[in-house]
Amino acid sequence: MNIKYIFNIFLIVIISGCSSQVRIDNPNIPKLLVKQLPYNVAIKYPENFNNFLHEEKVIGKKSWQVDFSSSNKLLFNEIFQSYFEKVTILESSEEGLYDNFNFIIIPSIDATEFSVPEQSQDETFSVWIRYRLKIFDNNGVEIINWPISAYGKTSTTSFSDDKDLANAAILAMRDAAALIILQLEKTNKLTLSIEQT
Amino acid sequence: MMKFIYTNQNKSTYYNKSLILLLLILISLSACVTARIEDNRIGDTGINDGEGIVILAKSYHLGNDTETNFIRCVSSNMSKGSSAIRVLPTNIFKDLLFPWFEPRTAPADTKSLATLMTRNQVRDVFQNQDIRYIVWLDGNTDSTGGGGSMSCAVGPNGGGCFGFAWWQNDSKYEATIWDVRDTNSEGNISAEYSGTSFMPAIVIPIPLFARTQAKACKGLSDQLKIFIAG
Repeated sequence: MNIKYIFNIFLIVIISGCSSQVRIDNPNIPKLLVKQLPYNVAIKYPENFNNFLHEEKVIGKKSWQVDFSSSNKLLFNEIFQSYFEKVTILESSEEGLYDNFNFIIIPSIDATEFSVPEQSQDETFSVWIRYRLKIFDNNGVEIINWPISAYGKTSTTSFSDDKDLANAAILAMRDAAALIILQLEKTNKLTLSIEQT
Repeated sequence: MMKFIYTNQNKSTYYNKSLILLLLILISLSACVTARIEDNRIGDTGINDGEGIVILAKSYHLGNDTETNFIRCVSSNMSKGSSAIRVLPTNIFKDLLFPWFEPRTAPADTKSLATLMTRNQVRDVFQNQDIRYIVWLDGNTDSTGGGGSMSCAVGPNGGGCFGFAWWQNDSKYEATIWDVRDTNSEGNISAEYSGTSFMPAIVIPIPLFARTQAKACKGLSDQLKIFIAG
């Protein structure tokens, strides 16, 4: 019994020394201070937005796993609920309802990367997330297809590597929100599309 | 006549007190730091009762890497002591104005601030929070050029270290002060603190840190209070 107990503890110590898991449940994205557009939009999320997981092994060091859980969904909900007057979250089976909305928004993640102090040779954690934002009009025509390259960086604090990496990821998500708003405010594609219909 | 009896108990108390004293001396020892603070005033400043400031780091998109704990330290020092100034916590400020003070979107100059202030919602937040000045911090603390050697060993009867190591600490920061009311830059304060940390070891390593960052925080905060008060 004792040997088994000691072995389990030893195993936990070994495993925890070789890998680190960071979980982001809620990035706490605040309400965006923007002028709302009077459009009725729908958002359709890809399936991996419920449990997006990114794993990376630092060569010669431990491996890191970032579990975004459903935080990407919370991020895009906040962005579009702040920017559009009416927002509906579509389930995958509701494709026939597209013509009830002015626009259909489909966000996705193209790539995620991060660097830890062992790699960057400085005392910082960096996270890059490349989102893709597609917006369709109510005829199903793609009017926007933007890559959104977001970046977040935090300096290390004592004994909290996991928290620092999570903070860098949250900063990258906030950066994505800022970039999306900048681009949405700059483009006239949405208003042009409404005028044409 | 009283007679002092030197018992074993007194002897033990004496040794304990000496040990505590020695530890306190070691902890309080720190290496010397040289400091230089300069301010460059462009406009007139002053702050009314109730008005506050916010302290932000310049964007890391511009290559800046001011430490979060340094910003916290300056904010804390500014909001206490004599001539304390109300400081709105950075996170609360950024959340209230999200996404306009994120590293990507924060105004890089006063012209961009003026453009940002044309948004009614942004102007309302500044008015509601009664924010008079934005203080932008730039710079960081680096440990450069060190030397020496130290070796430690552990044996069945105990362990110890022997040697001498040293390294240079340089803290260079700059604070730029913007007046929100007229969207002007009122000037800047630069603080440069440098010192050499030592670690001699004869059995026990005794670190003598040059606490340049802590001293830069104190020096810059004190100067900022004077600058803003006008």
